[in-house]
Amino acid sequence: MVEINLNRRQFLKLSGATAATLAIVELGFNEKEAYASSKEFKIAKSTVTPTICCYCGVGCGILVHTKDNAVVYTEGDPDHPVNEGKLCSKGTTIRQLYTTEKRLTKPLYRAPGSSKWEEKEWDWMYDRIAKRVKETRDASFVDKEDGIIVNKTERIASLGGAALDNEETYLLSKMMRGLGIVYLEHQARI
Amino acid sequence: MVEYAKYVDVTKCDGCRACMVSCKNWNDLPAEPQDFLGSNQSHAKVTANTWNVLSFIEHENSKGNLEYLFRHSACFHCKEAACVKVCPEEALHYTDFGTVVINDEKCVGCGYCVQNCPFDVVSLATYKDKHGKEYKKAQKCTMCTDRLEEGMQPACVTVCHTGAMEFGEKDKMIQKAEKRLAEIKGKFPNANIYNPAGVGGTHAIYVLAEKPSVYGLPENPKVPTSAVIWKDYAQPIGKMMLGATTMAVIGAYISNKIFYKEDHGHDENGGGSNE
Repeated sequence: MVEINLNRRQFLKLSGATAATLAIVELGFNEKEAYASSKEFKIAKSTVTPTICCYCGVGCGILVHTKDNAVVYTEGDPDHPVNEGKLCSKGTTIRQLYTTEKRLTKPLYRAPGSSKWEEKEWDWMYDRIAKRVKETRDASFVDKEDGIIVNKTERIASLGGAALDNEETYLLSKMMRGLGIVYLEHQARI
Repeated sequence: MVEYAKYVDVTKCDGCRACMVSCKNWNDLPAEPQDFLGSNQSHAKVTANTWNVLSFIEHENSKGNLEYLFRHSACFHCKEAACVKVCPEEALHYTDFGTVVINDEKCVGCGYCVQNCPFDVVSLATYKDKHGKEYKKAQKCTMCTDRLEEGMQPACVTVCHTGAMEFGEKDKMIQKAEKRLAEIKGKFPNANIYNPAGVGGTHAIYVLAEKPSVYGLPENPKVPTSAVIWKDYAQPIGKMMLGATTMAVIGAYISNKIFYKEDHGHDENGGGSNE
């Protein structure tokens, strides 16, 4: 066995030197590698979710890259049959829908005659909308016109949006027709 | 490694500006609000935070009619780039793809690249460090080299819906350009391929409908002669002379020491290595 004679001072010096050497070896001297690891690829660890562009009626497919609950990048979906990965200048900005400080995160309500918007809860909003729809429908409902059963109301209209998918538009128009609404329109046609 | 190039066919461009927006989107560049400039063009030229601009040129054609000429304008990624030549910090360099990029960590913001670029596409951006002190760094289009490294296409190319832009092997892109030129010669008699030899060819190859000067491009861009003289002749000579001077000073010092010792012996050299 090799016997090492060290006093306290020498022992401290030796362990300090070993730690320093290890630290330098760990860091490595490859400048390129160090540079590469400092700049990770922007969408390397992002979650990709497909969506439909909400702007016009073309309905382009978009891939949304999210990381830590934030949208880091959006781009045209190459597998989408409508746009095959391409996007227009407006669709390309869609990340700003999420990142802008102007984005509404709560429903806003402006009372009749008021000049101010107030924040309200969704539950309050749903109740209010349901109540007003029922009032208007009951007051304006027509069951017969010229002896023909029509069961309609002409005081309510529905405006669909381009971000609605097939199934959502089906449900929406089914509900609207169920209420007797005849004016069904779509945002992309106006 | 194979050289790559971006092929831009301006005759297919419809001026939608998606390339501008996709560049900002990928590179996280801030918007630069701009007042109306008197034409459809949004920004006068590329800047440190707007790496590509779609130029709208109002041109009167041979029949006396107005023609809108669109051109996606960004860095050309020259094969013999003036910016790389003049950079004193070697911050500007060529990549394996043939693209020209700036290493942010090496850039000191001296602005030589800005002054020497024949296409005027490099600009200085001003940033603030954590102490509120301002510093500058040169910025320009990187041809999305980070995307290329991952096997993806540049953001502007990906988004182009008319197929006016493509990215691929340089030889194939040149062939494509030549084929397209033959197709459009009837409609645009002045059409040409812009891949100027004065900078060793570029890695952004354009099919232009009119002469380069109509698009505000130099007909024969070159690396400035002053830059070549400075970097290829003056600097090496200067370095050599600096070396010679240093050697002379060291030599003089050593010989002086020796002679000094010989003259004075140990008298004034006490306490040194002699003891």
